[in-house]
Amino acid sequence: MSLVDFSSDAFITAFFLYCFAFLFYVLAIAGKKWSNRDPLKHEKRWGRIAFITSSLGLAAHLTFFFTRWAGSGQIPTSNMYEFMTFLGMAIMIAFTIVYAIYRKALLGMFALPLTIIIVAYASVFPQDVQPLIPALSSVWLKVHVTTAALGEAFFAVGFAAGLMYLLRVIDFKGKTKEEKRAEFWVEFSLYSIVLLVGFIIAVFAFRGMGYETEFIQEKSTIDAKGIESTVSETVIYYMPSIVKPYNSDIVKYESFLGMDKPLFEAPSWMTGVNSGRKLNTVIWSIISGSILYGLLRLVFRKPLGAVIHPMMEGIDPEDLDEISNRAIAIGYPIFTLGALIFAMIWANIAWGRFWGWDPKEVWALITWLYYSAYLHFRLSRGWQGRRSAWLAVIGFVIVLFTLVGVNLVIAGLHSYSGT
Amino acid sequence: MPSTFRYNGSIRSCVDIELVVISIMGKSRKTVQIGILIAVLIIGGYAIGSTLFGAGNTLLKEGSKPPDFKLADLEGNQQQLSDYAGKAVVVNFWGTFCPPCVKEMPEFERQYLKWKDQGLIVLAINLSEDTLTVNNFVRRFDLHYPILRDMNRKTERSYGLKSYPTTFFIKPDGSIMEIMVGGMTEVEIDERIERLLKL
Amino acid sequence: MSVLENTKCECGHQNAVGTVLCESCGKPLENNDSPDLPLEMRYDGVARRSQKSNPNIIDRIWNFFSSVKIAIYLIVLTFLTAMLGTIFPQENTFINSFDPSFYYEDAYGLPGKIYYLLGLSHTYESWWFIGLLVMIGTSLVICSLDRILPLYRALNKQQIRKHLQFIHRQKTVYKQTIEGDSEQWVEKFGAQLKRKGYRIHTEGTALLAEKNRFSRWGPYINHIGLILFLLAILARSIPDWQMDSYITISDGDTVQIPETNYFVKNEKFTVEFYKDEELPEKLKGKARAKLFETKAVLYECTSNCNDPKEKPVLAEVKRHNIVVNDPLKYKGLKLYQFDFDLTPRLNAVHPVLVNKVTGETYGPMDLPMKDSALQHKLGPYTLDLYANYMEFAIGDDGEPTTLSRDPVAPAFIFTVRGPGLAPEGEPYIYFPMQKDKVRFSQDTLNQAISDKIEIKVDGMENVDFSEASTYLNVRMDKALPYVWIGATFSMIGLLMGSYWQHRRIWLRVDDGQLSLGAHTNKNWYGMRSDVAWALQKIGITVDSKSLDNGGNNA
Repeated sequence: MSLVDFSSDAFITAFFLYCFAFLFYVLAIAGKKWSNRDPLKHEKRWGRIAFITSSLGLAAHLTFFFTRWAGSGQIPTSNMYEFMTFLGMAIMIAFTIVYAIYRKALLGMFALPLTIIIVAYASVFPQDVQPLIPALSSVWLKVHVTTAALGEAFFAVGFAAGLMYLLRVIDFKGKTKEEKRAEFWVEFSLYSIVLLVGFIIAVFAFRGMGYETEFIQEKSTIDAKGIESTVSETVIYYMPSIVKPYNSDIVKYESFLGMDKPLFEAPSWMTGVNSGRKLNTVIWSIISGSILYGLLRLVFRKPLGAVIHPMMEGIDPEDLDEISNRAIAIGYPIFTLGALIFAMIWANIAWGRFWGWDPKEVWALITWLYYSAYLHFRLSRGWQGRRSAWLAVIGFVIVLFTLVGVNLVIAGLHSYSGT
Repeated sequence: MPSTFRYNGSIRSCVDIELVVISIMGKSRKTVQIGILIAVLIIGGYAIGSTLFGAGNTLLKEGSKPPDFKLADLEGNQQQLSDYAGKAVVVNFWGTFCPPCVKEMPEFERQYLKWKDQGLIVLAINLSEDTLTVNNFVRRFDLHYPILRDMNRKTERSYGLKSYPTTFFIKPDGSIMEIMVGGMTEVEIDERIERLLKL
Repeated sequence: MSVLENTKCECGHQNAVGTVLCESCGKPLENNDSPDLPLEMRYDGVARRSQKSNPNIIDRIWNFFSSVKIAIYLIVLTFLTAMLGTIFPQENTFINSFDPSFYYEDAYGLPGKIYYLLGLSHTYESWWFIGLLVMIGTSLVICSLDRILPLYRALNKQQIRKHLQFIHRQKTVYKQTIEGDSEQWVEKFGAQLKRKGYRIHTEGTALLAEKNRFSRWGPYINHIGLILFLLAILARSIPDWQMDSYITISDGDTVQIPETNYFVKNEKFTVEFYKDEELPEKLKGKARAKLFETKAVLYECTSNCNDPKEKPVLAEVKRHNIVVNDPLKYKGLKLYQFDFDLTPRLNAVHPVLVNKVTGETYGPMDLPMKDSALQHKLGPYTLDLYANYMEFAIGDDGEPTTLSRDPVAPAFIFTVRGPGLAPEGEPYIYFPMQKDKVRFSQDTLNQAISDKIEIKVDGMENVDFSEASTYLNVRMDKALPYVWIGATFSMIGLLMGSYWQHRRIWLRVDDGQLSLGAHTNKNWYGMRSDVAWALQKIGITVDSKSLDNGGNNA
């Protein structure tokens, strides 16, 4: 068995351990209210079991990372699959550090699903080892990517704690306009997470069916010298095509539920690599995610926020506020170092300029400025608690856009990481 | 009497720091404020100003000053654009491989003969072709105005040329009156030179 | 506004206007806030410089920039505008000059046109974006200056025995009756705190424990670093501090770097592709570059540098194999591998002349594509170069012409004199490339002379061509060291401010009644556990959460 194969096994092990750890964390929190036991003891006991399981998961994940590194001869952060799994691992590291400080089992209940979703999202992308193009073979790249991801992972933990705070303080019984609005947006945040799950389900479902549609796309590009040229590219969809690529013709189309041709065409301004396919995927995620959300609502017969809120009782919201703030404060210098300073050093070596206003760079700067504003807001009265939690949630949306969204809609130097 | 304490180092150095702090905070506070605001104004003004007026890499356009060049003509004499300061100059980039350039050359010759007594200067810069090609061409058309030899596309690049021919009409004050990209008819050349010489 | 405000504390200390907490004993001076809430401890309640009665215009500008709120607005505004700049590609992503006024409309239609007209196509060079950065810089300077001096003053002379109100209104508070000798208790408690790294100052039954004061300077060091960074970026607009240009060099060529005295020679460019077995299934058969390298030599011109007539005299200064991520560096000048072109280019041929009648061969002669000698003597033959063409074609007028200036389809016309030829010479057209010989039917064009002589190349060793061209990016940036210095300062400040917290514990025992208050600038959780830990060590068990006096985490 080769090292790379072994690493895949380690990865699957990590994934299942995370799932179990999540269950144990839920057990630790939800089981407190069961009769015939001492809540404190129960939480302590199951919290420890959950933490051990999640730490074992992290160990397996680290094994995956290093064996893949050894097996492929290059650090596994160079394509979307590798980067996303690394981000998942970084979130676990950040979680473990924050957990070590605060010992709140509850945090696991939110950080673990986040990791699980991101790791599952990673496995959507092609998993084979791809050789590096010369621009990417630099020590600074490794340092840049890993440090930036670790910083983002702390922001993710800050996001998880922020969302928990909101679920804790918003009780879904409020009737005032303000309360209603807060309830809506919390529910919307949960819905967005369900969409991501829906996306993963859709990908694997259609992959299982072996679905394929083929298009030929005419693309006109204007190269660096200002010369316009047209190339035709074959675009293959692995999901039924609702949107066809901009300016394309069908080569092969498998009909799906009576739909025998794409319903509309991707807009021309989506210039990223394979943007038509990605838009199609987004639409499918919304469909399958909404179905999933609908099913959950049918089962519980109330908003998801209202389902989770009662589990949060007895937790001190101030602790959550503090954890969220602390995670972001810990992550901020790491992010600065990784996403800006190391990135500048690398850019200076690779391209001879430390800053070029490439969209990905700009978005890293936007993320940094956003969290700078966050940290300054914390200095002002009235910006702790709810507002701060919302800022942590929005901040993570910006992080995700920087990581994934930029590649979807904007093409740039970092386009290597889009698939 | 409440006691205060100080860390680090001798009492003297602390007193020194204190004095500095007090003097900055106190009497010279206004001066410090004004000083900083003036520095901000100058540095900030420079930063904003250089985005508005600076940025040397922008394209040449009407009214801007064309870059100077120093090139050899066919006789081997050096010709510099700045030698002709104060005169109306037509700078034309041409090559034997570009039919509209070839068509323009005799027209420029006639225009040159017509206006040279009024001080018109025509500088035709060849687009880095080899000596024989240029010599053969000039012999064929019997041209009298200076033909300059660009080397390795240096001058053409500094003028940001995109297509050929391109002609720059330069006013006696050294700024560009007009940039013509592409071939012109003789009437068009004539009319522009007339305008140029009136300036 | 009332001119006089009583700012004298009951302890006798005269405070500046705007002081929240007495600089000496810490007693709250403003009586209008609710007495139950924890105190506002920012900057230890010292008056900030900008807080002053009767502000004039300079004070007002100063106040504007010294406000954290304004700083936040500026940051938010900056990242919002930065977002706009990523909608369409910026003008500077295009290397060669192009006309943006057409490009954006062509490529993106009406939105593109609006984008261009609003100036968003060069957002990051626009006066308003730079203006925002300047304002952030100003805010950094003034905010820091306005706070650091008062803070320094407050921390440098702290009173140990604080007012009871000050202690009881901290965010972390503990009250308890203690037995035994108060001074001894204070000493024992102080000893425990010392083990946690606190510096202890006692005054009778009052104690002040403090640690990591240096972390308070972190944000200011960070801000100084950011200011340096911004200034360094600004310095790049000083003429000659920065250069960024692209050069193309074919194998074997030497090219001058524009606007410098340096010349670069590309001795050989090589590219290596991944082999199929190294590629995953999907990428097989695709040319994926593994490594490309330019063997480059950098020369400095010593004389005749800008003399168009003379060849410049060059002296080698540096030799380096440039690969991606490993540029040639010389005195601040850096040459980066940027791209390449694998189109071969013919440089010269060394043909021979064959007398077709006798079969005798003369030569070879040296025939470069550009600027060849005008006369070649080969045995009894004399060849006068009459005309040459880089990309031969027959024009509309039936005359031979060239379509470009690159040796794509070169042709040479000689006047040949020699045995068996007319004394005034006969014309002979020669195409060095076989494909052109056939395409333009060289023999037909040459008519009778083609039976008498032939000019041809014997073998590939007599052909000199460049296999590839390398594209190099030439950079120079004198501000770079300052950029790194700024970034380093900023990073050090960030680490100082984020991973250490300034913690202080005040306590006093009045008639066996212990009052303990603690303050930190960040991480209350850690502050409480420090206090709980020390109390535990001297036999008082207390849940660290119960020390929380309410209020919000700053």
